[in-house]
Amino acid sequence: MKIAQEIRAGNVIMQNGAPWVVLRTEYARGGRNAATVRMKLKSLLSNQGTEIVFKADDKMDQIVLDKKECTYSYFADPMYVWMDTDYNQYEVEAENMGDALNYLEDGMGAEVVFYDGKAISVELPTSVEREITWTEPAVKGDTSGKVLKPAKIATGFEIGVPIFVAQGDKVEIDTRTGEYRRRV
Amino acid sequence: MLQRRHNPVMNRAPPSDSAALRWDVFCRVIDNHGDLGVCWRLARQLRDAGQRVRLWVDDASALAWMAPGALQPSPSTAWGSAPHVTVLPWSDATRPEPLGGLEPGDVWIEAFGCELPEAFVAHGVRHRATAPAWINLEYLSAEPWVERHHGLPSPVMSGPALGWTKRFFYPGFTAGTGGLLREADLLAQQQAFDRTAWRAAHAPALQGGGRLISLFCYEPPGLAGLLAQLRGSADHLLVTPGRPLSAMNMAIQTAMQAPTASPATPVAIATPAASTPHTMAWTALPWTDQHGFDRMLWACDLNLVRGEDSLVRALWAGRPFVWNIYPQHDNAHHAKLDAFLGWLDAPPRLRRFHRVWNGIESGALPALDAAALADWQACTQAARQRLLAQDDLLTQLLRWARPSG
Repeated sequence: MKIAQEIRAGNVIMQNGAPWVVLRTEYARGGRNAATVRMKLKSLLSNQGTEIVFKADDKMDQIVLDKKECTYSYFADPMYVWMDTDYNQYEVEAENMGDALNYLEDGMGAEVVFYDGKAISVELPTSVEREITWTEPAVKGDTSGKVLKPAKIATGFEIGVPIFVAQGDKVEIDTRTGEYRRRV
Repeated sequence: MLQRRHNPVMNRAPPSDSAALRWDVFCRVIDNHGDLGVCWRLARQLRDAGQRVRLWVDDASALAWMAPGALQPSPSTAWGSAPHVTVLPWSDATRPEPLGGLEPGDVWIEAFGCELPEAFVAHGVRHRATAPAWINLEYLSAEPWVERHHGLPSPVMSGPALGWTKRFFYPGFTAGTGGLLREADLLAQQQAFDRTAWRAAHAPALQGGGRLISLFCYEPPGLAGLLAQLRGSADHLLVTPGRPLSAMNMAIQTAMQAPTASPATPVAIATPAASTPHTMAWTALPWTDQHGFDRMLWACDLNLVRGEDSLVRALWAGRPFVWNIYPQHDNAHHAKLDAFLGWLDAPPRLRRFHRVWNGIESGALPALDAAALADWQACTQAARQRLLAQDDLLTQLLRWARPSG
């Protein structure tokens, strides 16, 4: 069994006896040490979508599915095409790409997840490195990282970064939470 | 501005006045008294709305001063027909024997991240024909994610209630959240309150032009700076018991041990007498109940509050206030404070005061001059008006709890 905060976009969980693919997760800190995880799901049987929320330490069964290491190749609307090391191509529906769209770039690696022989989602690595394409000017001196400012990467995805981070810097981002980890 | 998401649960018709539900509210005391304070306030408002309530608590001792009479033994744990609140020990919900004769409620509330005892859940599954309205009552925050999480279902994925569904209820400051607790006659009570008499009774030495300031805090890093600022003024500080009084005594001891050559160092002496150029006047207050705490907030010119319940009461009081937010080990509270100050539309000096008070920024506290307090009061009262235009927490919770169909 896994706990909710370990579930990531691309995972498949059982709910009421049916498999659901996790399209997006949002981890949020509550009071004290509490946290909750909001998940956007799609049924693998009916294609119906839903949103649910869990306490971060709620237990659940994750279905272990076949996965393959692939790299992102191109977009053929509405499919995102991934390729494995044998040059086999797999199409993933745009709706099922989930959080991967936030970090998408040509040649990026991820695991394509299969259910019943069909590519249904992608699982990102736990962190990625991306260049900051926009942020406010860097402020020298305070490296404590206490105060965050908004910044964007090439996809337009926004994260909070310490004030010393400048446009053009490369940063490591935790894909599970969308949070800045460190400047690379 | 975020649009309120369509949520079929939240869009049910208002409850019928004649239908009284039976509520099982669970609360664990972790530290301080805030969680219990909110749960007691909720239970009391449910009772006043005609509901029957059982409040399960692991440590109810604080109710002795917070809500006198709350701990009077009940003749029976049966629901009965009259509105009431019965306080029960959490341990009784963890064992089959005390649960044997109990009828599970129609609404289950697990407050502030606590888990319902498995024995209680198993008992409910065996004895209820249908699933209850099971609500997870979350912590208060002004962060934008609260609106996205509020109202969402949460399937029970393990345990005796596997297959049932809870719903997450987030108190909050906007129309897309669950709102805040507010008694229907609260503003009328405040309008009828004799502020002058209360001030005369609690700070008789307060001089003309002096301000009355209440202190209910954790251990705010800005406390020494506040004492330095108030030194030699005509102001009077009312210090509430527990951690605030300990923090005050510690700040005074630290100041008295410091070299007196520094003019910034307050040499405050514990006395209710009027202040001198090197001291300030303050009083240690006794424990009081929730009504007494409200009256203190109404009477003071500035309220220094902490946690969730007293923050909300300070908003309703409409007086200038500063919030000592509950510190979290990974500084998660920084974003929460910023989000609250953003919702409050706090002026720059109030934001700076908060950041220094809470140790997020270093430096001197902004001056507590008349212009600042007038500005802060206007800000608070504008925020209060926005809140008054929204449904309160009890109204929304009652709407949620009604069975469908």
